[in-house]
Amino acid sequence: MKSILSAPKSGSTVSKRPVWLVAFGSLVALVLINWFLQPSFFDGMVMHSNLTTFLPLTLVAIGQTFVIMGGDIDLSVGSIAALVNVVTVTVIAMAGGDAASVPIGLLTGLVVGVLCGVFNGLLISYLRLQPMVATFGTGIIFSALALWVMPQAGLSVPEVYWMTYSDFVLGVPTVLWILIAGFLFVLFMQRRPFESHLKAVGGNRAGAFQSGINMSFVRLLSFALCGLFSGFAALCLTGETASGDPLIGQSLAMGSISAVVLGGTMLSGGVGGAIGSIFGALLLGMIGNVIFFAGLPFEFQTLVQGLIVLAALAGGVLVARK
Amino acid sequence: MSSAITVRDLTKRFDKVHALTDGRLTVERGEIHALLGANGCGKSTLSKIVAGAYAPTSGTVLIDGKEVSFRSPRDAEEMGIALFYQELSLIPKMSVEANIFLRREPRNGVGFIDYAKMRTETLNLLAMFKDAIGDDIQPDALVADLTPGQRQIVEICKVYAKNPSIVIMDEATAALDGRQVKVFFDILRKKREEGVSTIFISHRLDEVFEICDHATIMRNGAVVAETAIAETTTEDVVHMMVGDVKKAPKRQALDDEGKKPLLKLEGVGSNLLNDVSLSVAPGEIVGLGGLQGQGQSTLLRSLFGALPITSGTVWLNNEQVAIRKPADAVRRKVAYVSGDRGPDAALPGRSIFENLAAAILVSEKRKLVRAKELRPQLAEVASAFKTKYARMTDAIGTLSGGNQQKIFIARWLATNPKVILLDDPTKGIDLAAKADLFALIRKLAESGVAVLLYSSEESELLDNCDRIAVFNDGAVVTELSGAEMDSFHLTRAAYGEA
Ligand SMILES: Nc1ncnc2c1ncn2[C@@H]1O[C@H](COP(=O)(O)OP(=O)(O)O)[C@@H](O)[C@H]1O
Ligand SMILES: [Mg+2]
Repeated sequence: MKSILSAPKSGSTVSKRPVWLVAFGSLVALVLINWFLQPSFFDGMVMHSNLTTFLPLTLVAIGQTFVIMGGDIDLSVGSIAALVNVVTVTVIAMAGGDAASVPIGLLTGLVVGVLCGVFNGLLISYLRLQPMVATFGTGIIFSALALWVMPQAGLSVPEVYWMTYSDFVLGVPTVLWILIAGFLFVLFMQRRPFESHLKAVGGNRAGAFQSGINMSFVRLLSFALCGLFSGFAALCLTGETASGDPLIGQSLAMGSISAVVLGGTMLSGGVGGAIGSIFGALLLGMIGNVIFFAGLPFEFQTLVQGLIVLAALAGGVLVARK
Repeated sequence: MSSAITVRDLTKRFDKVHALTDGRLTVERGEIHALLGANGCGKSTLSKIVAGAYAPTSGTVLIDGKEVSFRSPRDAEEMGIALFYQELSLIPKMSVEANIFLRREPRNGVGFIDYAKMRTETLNLLAMFKDAIGDDIQPDALVADLTPGQRQIVEICKVYAKNPSIVIMDEATAALDGRQVKVFFDILRKKREEGVSTIFISHRLDEVFEICDHATIMRNGAVVAETAIAETTTEDVVHMMVGDVKKAPKRQALDDEGKKPLLKLEGVGSNLLNDVSLSVAPGEIVGLGGLQGQGQSTLLRSLFGALPITSGTVWLNNEQVAIRKPADAVRRKVAYVSGDRGPDAALPGRSIFENLAAAILVSEKRKLVRAKELRPQLAEVASAFKTKYARMTDAIGTLSGGNQQKIFIARWLATNPKVILLDDPTKGIDLAAKADLFALIRKLAESGVAVLLYSSEESELLDNCDRIAVFNDGAVVTELSGAEMDSFHLTRAAYGEA
């Protein structure tokens, strides 16, 4: 109630602090702990392999952020990734399985990812289905499609695909290039009006409508972006595994939502940003690492991640109540 | 030359509610035109149709003589129409500048938001209010951190940022102080000279007579008169707003005048309340009247411990009490029911039973519940309310609004309350349920409960209360009782003309 009593003279300090600060601080702390437990952490090879492991979740988390900022949620990202993975692998095989067929496969995969997102968006923003229910349902559909395209894991991709992915370009690991591109995209979007409109839609639907924002379209776009990034993640997974697997990416939905929350984006929409989600995703990965090197059983990883996400959510509630 | 706005035969229905039955309006270029009428008569609905936020059920709107049919507020904006939304169109978690330029962000060559330009233009707009607020509002402050008055100023800036030729100000002065209103009127006059047409909706008639050229008067969803301000008086306008004054059925005055008040307030104040004194005897229903947002809800919430009281004393049963949190109120047998059922009252997704039991648990400080023991007791209360439900274990959301509301009153009944605070309890419920509800409230009063009732519909106050305390700007300006309890006196007092 204090806010009604006395408006602060120069904005509130809380609003000026970037929402990703906590996630970034925790990430730095975990990196230090990891370094202590695993002195080789900063070796090029170790960094490279860590980044390869964390990259798919990071990309999905970027896409998920847009959906969540708009006040929605996408539970189907994992299934989209699986579908894109099997489609890409199958299309490459059908196009001849040589180096020349790789771009066709990548492009088809991304188009499928975007189409899945658009389908989600149409159901939710135009048919007004509940996002949680709708994407739970479409997730099952996308999974079924993936199994239909490729009933069993198999088919390998041409060497050039996974070699390029795991190699260096201009002296920098490909995976790092991809992460940098993701960062740049996020910075780009931050300065575009779209993100502001999306937050308005997530923050106050009536106000956004009254301000003349085309809400359905904005929400549709956020789902399309999420589909695109799930597609990118799938292409990375394909580069990592070098084959198709209809059951790949099952942990991506919960993982990406956790990363977004850890990154300071509010689940209720309207507040946050994808920078935080990138840190959140890396943070989740680092938690796994630390647990491994601390010698704790693997099952602890999920438990600890769950507890941390719960703490982040509770923290958000406490801040909101203040 | 054609008029800036011409509205003919406009109607709007929301399901069964006829919000607008006969909307007619003519506004010329460069005039300030008042739109007057009691709460709920359809002013905002008419405004929103003109501004493209609602589609009309039927009727025509002409802008500069051309018929228009807006599909969204954006279409109207492109025709130069901007509406100050009574409930404000701001996004709380966004900055002042981002709100003012939402969807119309200045951009640079690559399509990025031009923050520097946005900042300068925001400062220019805020400078219009410089004489009243100095630089109290920072462009990068969050709207959520502003006072209600500051938010209204931001909404006004948002309107003028669109460089509109037609402006609708729907209760834009409600939370402004005297100096801010004065500056705002200077702006309106300047815009009038520039040829801007303004529709001015205000709850203060003196303001209307100060600044407006013409007035259109509405009653119950229909326009009943149009007049030049110079040719009328406030008395006439109030008469046109309320129509034939029908006497409220006279309620027998409480015979025992000396009866000790059950609830007594002396000079209660807070940041939103100003020296409120009131008393309610057992068996009495006292109404809180006046225009919306003048402190009625605030008082009820403060008495329930949900908002702070900073001065004055509250007496319950001749005992001075300090209610600092809702649990204090519940233990002292004070109950609170709000018309905003969702966030305030319901345990959403929980069963009817759990919703009913919530208050008992607090009042008896119970931690563990034996559902078997409580269920018959609660079933009895619920049935006393003629609540229609299938099973106690059904989710609260399966009930209609009216029946949900009965459940929320019933839950307090189970705690045997002494004071019931009703905060616009009939919001959004149908007529039959309303009648049931008020019959019930009367019955409760007859059993010796003291009732404080705020309603945004004045007929509910007139029909159901023994006395009405009329609020303006956080203070009680008049108390109506006996022969004065009619809509004429109530409207006049509410509009500050008593
Ligand atoms: N969105 C809505 N849904 C249902 N009923 C509404 C809605 N908006 C307004 N009404 C009803 O229409 C009537 C007119 O409301 P409004 O135009 O807000 O009146 P005013 O602005 O004159 O106080 C009221 O009875 C109100 O309850
Ligand atoms: Mg209104």
